[in-house]
Amino acid sequence: MKSFVKSTRFRILIAFVAFLVGIMIYAVTKGGYSLSAASLINLVTQPVKSVSNSIALEFERISDKIFSPDKYYIENQELKERINELNRKLAEYDDLKAEVEELRKFADMKKEYPELDMSMPAEVLGYVTNDPFKSFNIDKGSADGIEPYSPVITADGLVGMTVEVSERSSTVRTILSPDLSVAAVASSTNADYGIIEGTVLTAADGHTKMSHLSTAHKLREGDLIVTAGNTGMFPKDYPIGTVLSTDFEINGLSACAEIEPCCDITRLSTVFVITDFTGKKEGADENKTAP
Amino acid sequence: MRIKLPREKRIYYIKTVIRWIIYYIIIILFFSTMNAGTWTKPILLVPAALCIAMKNDVMASAFTGAVCGFLTDVACGKLFGYNAVLLTVFCAAVSLVFELYFRDKFINFFWINAVVSLIQCCLDFEFYYNIWKYDHAEMIFYGITVKVWAYTVISSVFVYLIFKFVNKKLMPREHLTIKEIIDNNRGITQFSKE
Repeated sequence: MKSFVKSTRFRILIAFVAFLVGIMIYAVTKGGYSLSAASLINLVTQPVKSVSNSIALEFERISDKIFSPDKYYIENQELKERINELNRKLAEYDDLKAEVEELRKFADMKKEYPELDMSMPAEVLGYVTNDPFKSFNIDKGSADGIEPYSPVITADGLVGMTVEVSERSSTVRTILSPDLSVAAVASSTNADYGIIEGTVLTAADGHTKMSHLSTAHKLREGDLIVTAGNTGMFPKDYPIGTVLSTDFEINGLSACAEIEPCCDITRLSTVFVITDFTGKKEGADENKTAP
Repeated sequence: MRIKLPREKRIYYIKTVIRWIIYYIIIILFFSTMNAGTWTKPILLVPAALCIAMKNDVMASAFTGAVCGFLTDVACGKLFGYNAVLLTVFCAAVSLVFELYFRDKFINFFWINAVVSLIQCCLDFEFYYNIWKYDHAEMIFYGITVKVWAYTVISSVFVYLIFKFVNKKLMPREHLTIKEIIDNNRGITQFSKE
């Protein structure tokens, strides 16, 4: 040991350490900038570092997969649960949104037609199988205050009338049916009266027909037809549809018009039933007869 | 004299109960299908009722026919009981005919179903549209009645296959004693001699 301390190798070693310490001190005085030698080393080794780092990361990833599958499985399950929960929330949100929209329509209609007493929005359960006139069932019945022969509407226009009411559901006959007659008038002239009554031909296209018009009528394409309200079965001035074309009846004594309903009756999801309105026919409940 | 082991009896009852439960599940599924959408659909409950009638006794067939009829009335918005009466009569008749005269063959089922569906569709058209003298009522006949009949006849192939599968798996086989087989054969021989 004594001989090593006195040897030249020891002195060189001490000198080298002192040199390194000198470099260190010098580096400290550079105020955060690296020495040019260090920069060069960094520059030269950068690609190597990059490749080695990526290999190391990949290796870590693989080894992590191999050695800790439980951790990933649990994490996967947690994420799945979270996704399911979010999907449930989304579905609930969609339902709520649809409900809010329906209620908004309902509120708007209440505001627009204060004289109408309406049921809560009724969902269309389904169309009657193979019915050419698109009768359908709704999820509201006598328990919700609905009576037979009550008008059925949407925010856009008249749909039809309830014909069979049970406690929790009702069947609605639409204005496409020849079995339902509605007294109607042109909104623009307020003079051209007629009867809305579907036919087999017009129902095939989702339209209805206004018959018994005067031959001197002033109806034009696009004119709005509304309920006349003089039968006491339907409220006055509620939109039914627009005129598509006019023609004369086969007998030539009166005219008729093809009417496109304001709402697409073949694609309904929610409707409202009018339980009471100003001018409702007195004694309609006692007679219980279809119009 | 028919002798059955208790285990055999138990299997017979269990299979029968499961078979009927499956019959009614299929009926409910067909009913749901009939209520879906707005397009023209086959009356699936007619071939279903006839399929059941083919392989079961008269009373059970008539009852099932009534159930299918009531469901058809609800789905099609007809007078409650109208199709029930029709299908009860048809199912009882079909059950008897298959018990006494026809063999359980697909072709027999196919043409009987075609005839029954045609009668049902034509009566429906007559009572619900034609009798009221609607203008262009023939459009309903060609546009809906004939279409529904054709769809019902085509779909009856699939309905038959479904019920055949259920019957194959769950219909208990008759266990005849040797005496019954001899008696049956004697009866057939006498019948052929006559």
